[in-house]
Amino acid sequence: MTNRQSTFPKIACAVLAAAFAACKSGPAAPAKVSIGATLPLTGAEARIGGFFKEGYDLAFEEANKRGGLQVGGKKLPVALTLLDDTSTSATAASLADRLVNNDKVDFLLGTYATNLVEAQSTVAEQNKVPYLNGGGAATQIYRRGYKYVFGLLAPVELLGNTLMQWIDLQQKAGKLPKPSKIALVWENTSHGKDFRKGISEFADKSGGAYQIVVDESFELNGKDFSALLGKVKAAKADLFLADAHLPDYIAMHRQYVAAGMCNKLVSYGARGSEKGAIDALGRENVDYVLSAVWWSNQLAAKGGLAKQFVDAFKAKYNKSPEWFQALGYETARILFAAIEQAGSLDREAVRQKLAAMKADSLLPGGTVELPAAFGQQAQNSFVVQQNLPDGTSPIIFPADVATGTGVAPNPRCKG
Amino acid sequence: MQRFLDLAISSVLLAGLYATMAYGLGLIYGVLRVVNLAHGGVIMAGAYLGWLSFSRLGLDPYLSIPLVVAATFAFGVFMYRVLVRHLPRGAAGGPQSLLLLFGVWLVIRNVAYLAFTGDDQAIRTSYSTKSIELMGSFVSVNRVVVFAIALLTPLGLHFLLRRTYMGKAIRAVAQNADSCTLVGVDVERIYALTFGMGTALAGLAGLLSATLFSFNPAFGAGELLKSFVVVVMGGLGSMVGLGVAALILAVIEVYSILVLPAYLTAAVGFVMLVLVLIFRPGGLFGHRVLG
Repeated sequence: MTNRQSTFPKIACAVLAAAFAACKSGPAAPAKVSIGATLPLTGAEARIGGFFKEGYDLAFEEANKRGGLQVGGKKLPVALTLLDDTSTSATAASLADRLVNNDKVDFLLGTYATNLVEAQSTVAEQNKVPYLNGGGAATQIYRRGYKYVFGLLAPVELLGNTLMQWIDLQQKAGKLPKPSKIALVWENTSHGKDFRKGISEFADKSGGAYQIVVDESFELNGKDFSALLGKVKAAKADLFLADAHLPDYIAMHRQYVAAGMCNKLVSYGARGSEKGAIDALGRENVDYVLSAVWWSNQLAAKGGLAKQFVDAFKAKYNKSPEWFQALGYETARILFAAIEQAGSLDREAVRQKLAAMKADSLLPGGTVELPAAFGQQAQNSFVVQQNLPDGTSPIIFPADVATGTGVAPNPRCKG
Repeated sequence: MQRFLDLAISSVLLAGLYATMAYGLGLIYGVLRVVNLAHGGVIMAGAYLGWLSFSRLGLDPYLSIPLVVAATFAFGVFMYRVLVRHLPRGAAGGPQSLLLLFGVWLVIRNVAYLAFTGDDQAIRTSYSTKSIELMGSFVSVNRVVVFAIALLTPLGLHFLLRRTYMGKAIRAVAQNADSCTLVGVDVERIYALTFGMGTALAGLAGLLSATLFSFNPAFGAGELLKSFVVVVMGGLGSMVGLGVAALILAVIEVYSILVLPAYLTAAVGFVMLVLVLIFRPGGLFGHRVLG
């Protein structure tokens, strides 16, 4: 009893002394950088959510292997709190709120898919938390005047524009008729609308080199495209440029092939070179199809950050990355760069560094910026690929990263 | 002229697909007065069963029809015995059966997500993109086969319902279950068989759809909506009416592209659904008992 009585005042004094010391030195220095994110790890977007997770995991692993992020003169480990938003907008938004207000993360990385990013980014803006995503391309996300929302995925308008730049080179080389008649078919979503805008603005500015003869949208997951394709056939279009998600690409292109249609050039936007489509449609039916994507692992052929990423990814996962993993990795990497440039975990300081960001990048173009003029959305070029009969899908544009030469018009089309 | 002919052929083939989707829903409602909201889930399950037998067993999707029909029939009987039989029927049981079967659909969908992930899958055979020439139009072989099966299905159902004891019992139970009990018909067994048959028809629709489209666990929602439109337009419980309603829906959807933007053509069916519910709530062909 005596012993206990004598111990208590000592402990009390020690606690008081510690509390006093803490008060005297102000808030404790952060022990780590805490970043929160949600991804669609289950539900409709589970496959792509899993790809983004691979990119995030690799970026965090690399940063911690280097000892962490350089913040305020010392290295801090960086931790990711990752939650499953189940591919639904409401969950993505509520989990973002939880990450900020319960888990007290310092910054947010984005989820995948436009609708989820759109819902979640509002929470980030309301809480004034810098939010960098690589999974939302629709321009509508970035036209709301938000200060804390940044996007690495270039707008789909640019996809249409980049595709047209390559087509224009073929026309100028005399391989396509002038004017070329375009059948423009797009899914009735923000993705499709942006694609349409990119193509039609290019055509409008071409001084009559392109004439849009069909301009039609369609609902997602269509059951029958024969009437729509009939319109394309009747218009005798030279170029068939569509924007479709994978299920509609498969359904539409099966009907396109079965109907015996053949245009001088065919594209389904970002679709074309992926294995799922080739398996479903048959290699011979997708030959010469053009696609434009945000990133390709063929960019590694030119060395630099793309090669470093591809090598590290292959070493960790024993497979080649697609653009999803690359964007996940790059999004985390750019956020780390902004934190290190700010030298603190102050959200406003990091936001300012993101807004002024100009860094080397593994994305096409080799650098990345998040310009305020475009709502803080990156404007990197797309890479155009074409499926060739030898089973390859080389990058054919831009010329500085090309790994092959494109073919126009489709040699299998008569007339 | 050729364009009109192309659209006519497209309409007829699309009608076959719509009718196949709707038969199962119509049969179950006609006899049990239960709106089977799990119909969309079974369509998706049928697509996966066809895909599994094609990719794992190397079985042509049309040869796997007996397998898929048998599996989904057994699942339907199981669903009836374990769940549906405990529900009140008709208007009184509406909310309970809707909620229960919607729950079953969610379970089927999430099991599929667990088993197959959210990846899009497709069945590609050597004839997936082959076509035949019909009156100057190129028509997909798969769509023609689906249409043929859509024609054979109601003929088979008609034979079953008119010429067999079981079919007569099903029609009798649909008319008056209490009287059937009095004359010794095992009503519960008939209900179980009917639910199984309706579910098997949904499985068949899923398999046939899988030969045309890619699919993932979310597949079936759009198909369920189209089935509703066809069943309501055709008149609940009328098999012939379902076929005609499917044709009307397909013709209007396909030809509407001549006057409407393509993205609105899918909405035409739902406008028709509302109009039919307002002006002919019993369906365009009235309410018959499995005619």
